[in-house]
Amino acid sequence: MIKPGYISPLLLFILVSCINSNEKKADETLKRPDTTISSTSANPYASVDVSPMDMSYYPVNYSQKKMTHDLTTPPVMRVIYSRPHRQGRRIFGDLLKYGEPWRLGANEASEIEFFKNVTIQAKKVTAGRYVIYCIPYPDKWTIILNNDIYTWGLKIDSTKDLVHFDIPAKKAPTDFEYFTMVFQPAANGAELVMAWDDTEARLPINF
Amino acid sequence: MNHMKRLSLFLVFCFSVLLCSAQSNELPPLDKSPMDMAYYPNNYPVLKIQGKITEPVAARVIYSRPQKNGRIIFGDLVEYGKVWRLGANEATEIEFYKDVKIDGKKVSKRRYTLYAIPNQDNWIIIINKDVDTWGAFIYDEQKDILRTTVPVQKLDEPLEALVMTFEKTDIGCDLIIAWENIKVALPINLK
Repeated sequence: MIKPGYISPLLLFILVSCINSNEKKADETLKRPDTTISSTSANPYASVDVSPMDMSYYPVNYSQKKMTHDLTTPPVMRVIYSRPHRQGRRIFGDLLKYGEPWRLGANEASEIEFFKNVTIQAKKVTAGRYVIYCIPYPDKWTIILNNDIYTWGLKIDSTKDLVHFDIPAKKAPTDFEYFTMVFQPAANGAELVMAWDDTEARLPINF
Repeated sequence: MNHMKRLSLFLVFCFSVLLCSAQSNELPPLDKSPMDMAYYPNNYPVLKIQGKITEPVAARVIYSRPQKNGRIIFGDLVEYGKVWRLGANEATEIEFYKDVKIDGKKVSKRRYTLYAIPNQDNWIIIINKDVDTWGAFIYDEQKDILRTTVPVQKLDEPLEALVMTFEKTDIGCDLIIAWENIKVALPINLK
């Protein structure tokens, strides 16, 4: 005989299992919109917002710094992207096929905006807004800036590619549950760090 | 005691159902991946890849979507009569891709920060030119380009997450902002 005191934890467990299985089902079918809240996940570059939006600025946390610093210069750049979850899947070479375009995110195409002219791999990139996407390979990523802005990530018009950059893909220092894009200061400018699963790649940007 | 337990279990169950259920109206559901933006025309990026664009992109809003989480929002968490950041985290950004008119005043094409002062029966919507900022913590009224008052409308179905979307109108579109059990509409003249 089960004591009454055990009943609520037991029922809770069943309930939680039921919720989890519902979530899995939703992932498989992609039919049911999901309004569950993702809890924050440990991530050394940028924790996942509980509220669903993400953008990264350079200077890092520009908008927060504005509250405490008298910033007189505008930001250099920002990226707006969506953060898919790994959810136990193998990402590179499996979910994302090597040699095929990947939208570097989810939903809307990822967008990078330069508020001033920058230089990447000795090529000048004019201030403006671009779609940024990627073709992953086992040891390198081809990063592409594209002029077909305000589009959805699944169908990027490659005839509007502006420039391609090859950068090494490396083992990340830690596993990333959520795809992460963030800027970090570097020599002569900054790097756009892109990390997911066990892989990270860095695009040096000079300005 | 058993009665209390049953009651608490029932409440847990109700809360779980609330979390599990989709937003049951025509407003866009929460993205699985944490980002949200809305365009006018609605779903412009999707229409684009489907080749179904009938009018040029006119506006976009980028915002974060706080959850109700069982709290009372308007008049409590979001206080009446005070500037609210209309979202969370980074300040809410609205961009016009062409010059528009709001409340009869010209608003030039560019990015702006959007704030609101909610009241019980109306909201004051504020368009401010200080962009790339955080919340409403350093909101500077000097940088307002316009304030306009819009009425509060009641919703039939409560909303768990703050939502923004655009709706087509005779003169252009309305920016719809909805959360909890209310919505407001900001008319934007695109003519």
